[in-house]
Amino acid sequence: MYQQPSNSGEHHQRSEVMVPPNPHLYTEIPHWLKVYAKAPFEHDHKLKWELFKLPELDFFQSMLTRLYKEEAESVVNDYENYRLALINENRLRQKQLQEKALDAEDNIEIKV
Amino acid sequence: MSELKRLSEESLTRQPEEVFDVLEKLGEGSYGSVFQAVHKETGQLLAIKQVPVDTDLQEIIKEISIMQQCDSPYVVKYYGSYFKNTDLWIVMEYCGAGSVSDIMRLRNKTLTEPEISTILHSTLKGLEYLHSRRKIHRDIKAGNILLNNEGHAKLADFGVAGQLTDTMAKRNTVIGTPFWMAPEVIQEIGYDCVADIWSLGITALEMAEGKPPYADIHPMRAIFMIPTKPPPTFRNPEKWSEDFIDFVLQCLVKNPSERPSASRLLQHPFIKNAASASLVDMIAEAKERRLEMQTRQEQDFGDSEEDEIDSGTMIPRDSNAGTMVEHGTMVDHGDSGTMIESDIGTMVINSDEDDDDDSTMKKISSGSGEKYTPSFLEHFDKLDRERLGNTTGSTGSSSSSSIQSQQPTVPIGEDRDSQRSFGRPFTEGDFEFLKSMSYEDLKTRLNSLDPEMEREIEELRKRYQAKRQPILEAIDAKKKRQNQGIQIF
Ligand SMILES: Nc1ncnc2c1ncn2[C@@H]1O[C@H](COP(=O)(O)OP(=O)(O)OP(=O)(O)O)[C@@H](O)[C@H]1O
Ligand SMILES: [Mg+2]
Repeated sequence: MYQQPSNSGEHHQRSEVMVPPNPHLYTEIPHWLKVYAKAPFEHDHKLKWELFKLPELDFFQSMLTRLYKEEAESVVNDYENYRLALINENRLRQKQLQEKALDAEDNIEIKV
Repeated sequence: MSELKRLSEESLTRQPEEVFDVLEKLGEGSYGSVFQAVHKETGQLLAIKQVPVDTDLQEIIKEISIMQQCDSPYVVKYYGSYFKNTDLWIVMEYCGAGSVSDIMRLRNKTLTEPEISTILHSTLKGLEYLHSRRKIHRDIKAGNILLNNEGHAKLADFGVAGQLTDTMAKRNTVIGTPFWMAPEVIQEIGYDCVADIWSLGITALEMAEGKPPYADIHPMRAIFMIPTKPPPTFRNPEKWSEDFIDFVLQCLVKNPSERPSASRLLQHPFIKNAASASLVDMIAEAKERRLEMQTRQEQDFGDSEEDEIDSGTMIPRDSNAGTMVEHGTMVDHGDSGTMIESDIGTMVINSDEDDDDDSTMKKISSGSGEKYTPSFLEHFDKLDRERLGNTTGSTGSSSSSSIQSQQPTVPIGEDRDSQRSFGRPFTEGDFEFLKSMSYEDLKTRLNSLDPEMEREIEELRKRYQAKRQPILEAIDAKKKRQNQGIQIF
């Protein structure tokens, strides 16, 4: 009943991607730009960005966005590990508390 | 009265106020406000979106002219655009009932399956039309599906959304609010029309559950979860028909080359065999609510304008004035944790009973929801809601200080990146210290985890914004000079 209709447009659509990948996705980020991204702001004003050409500036700003995304990902990952550790420890404690409570009950029953 | 097909050349050269009477404000989005307007010549009602813009408009103008060529009953018509001072006015078809997300919010109720399938049918028709012209919408969500007074659903914000997003995003260091985004879009590995199909699947879940999956977690976390986790599914699958579940399953296939096209999904039993619902009653009810709210507001505040939300300022989370935290947009307004307003989480789901619109209404208990998100997320959902209700001042800052004082000292210098880890309540990779902590302290830490992470991400965002700023300024200056050059020659 639910069959794929012969749709000529569909094949065409699949064979090529309309929005190309980010051209700088795997480009190596210049070392100095990484340093710039991490450095304190105090010396930033000394950089004369206007000396660069437009495509270069575009490249730098898109590299900075990539660095931001990468750094954010590592922050999220760090917290994800911490979250997991917290949850595990929390669960363990809960179990221990429950067991203690059960033990206590047992003791009462024995005494009775 | 003859229907307006497009604006004449002559009327496009005039000042927009001469051509239209601008009436009440219909709503506000991330890029500007939308007003109701009357076309003086024909008396036809229209909607005008006013977007502040700076440089780099060539692309937007090109895109609008392409949009104007679109002519489908399933796509909101664009009649033309104007520049007015620093604003771009985009003149479009008026859809009297507002967006699907407006209607959910006004009725404080999610949609039923017949309503959803009716809306999805129109949306798929709209997508089929756009995709056959090799156009990707790029912003499919309930907020961009508009309903006119007859109850017909139409796609809005096509194209403009994408273009504005690109130019604005460049200014704001953002990797946006990602809830509706296809994995391949987030990964930046290239994409095509079926990216809209993923967003449609998310929108289907949004219409059924009141918010998209991951809406309660930090957007930055969602960004990394969407491409890495299995596709999201219903929180309570037992509440929905097999056909509906299968429809969503088909849309949310992670590999884009295995995702069906709009034409193919139009053949899906959920769309094809569904008893089409009339949306007229739903619309009438939403309108009634809107009127009630307007009268109430007028009584409460006189005629004072609601506060403009200035992009770049913190939106107070603890305000109980029903602040709508903007969502679903690509631009981060500096409100780092733009999680979707939690009152959507209290919406009545898949139920016909009607209630007062106060927020005491409880969502039908969502059970374990294991397939949808790990169960611990449910826990954080709750924490988030509590936090939204309790905190005063800016998010997280108050609760974090007490935690910091009891944290183990981070050996500075040993860490590769001491700047980032500074102030963190933990050292990466070494969680032994948790064992010696009291149960109460553990719980406190769980509570403050998300605000801590949010604070760190916000610091990161600010740093990168500041680092990119001088480069963006240099780019702007160069572009201005180029444009002047063009005018001279
Ligand atoms: N053509 C229209 N007819 C009637 N109302 C409209 C129209 N376009 C927009 N609106 C109303 O204006 C509101 C704001 O629209 P806008 O597109 O600016 O923002 P949004 O869709 O909520 O978010 P985003 O900025 O991400 O697109 C909508 O929610 C809707 O209520
Ligand atoms: Mg919109």
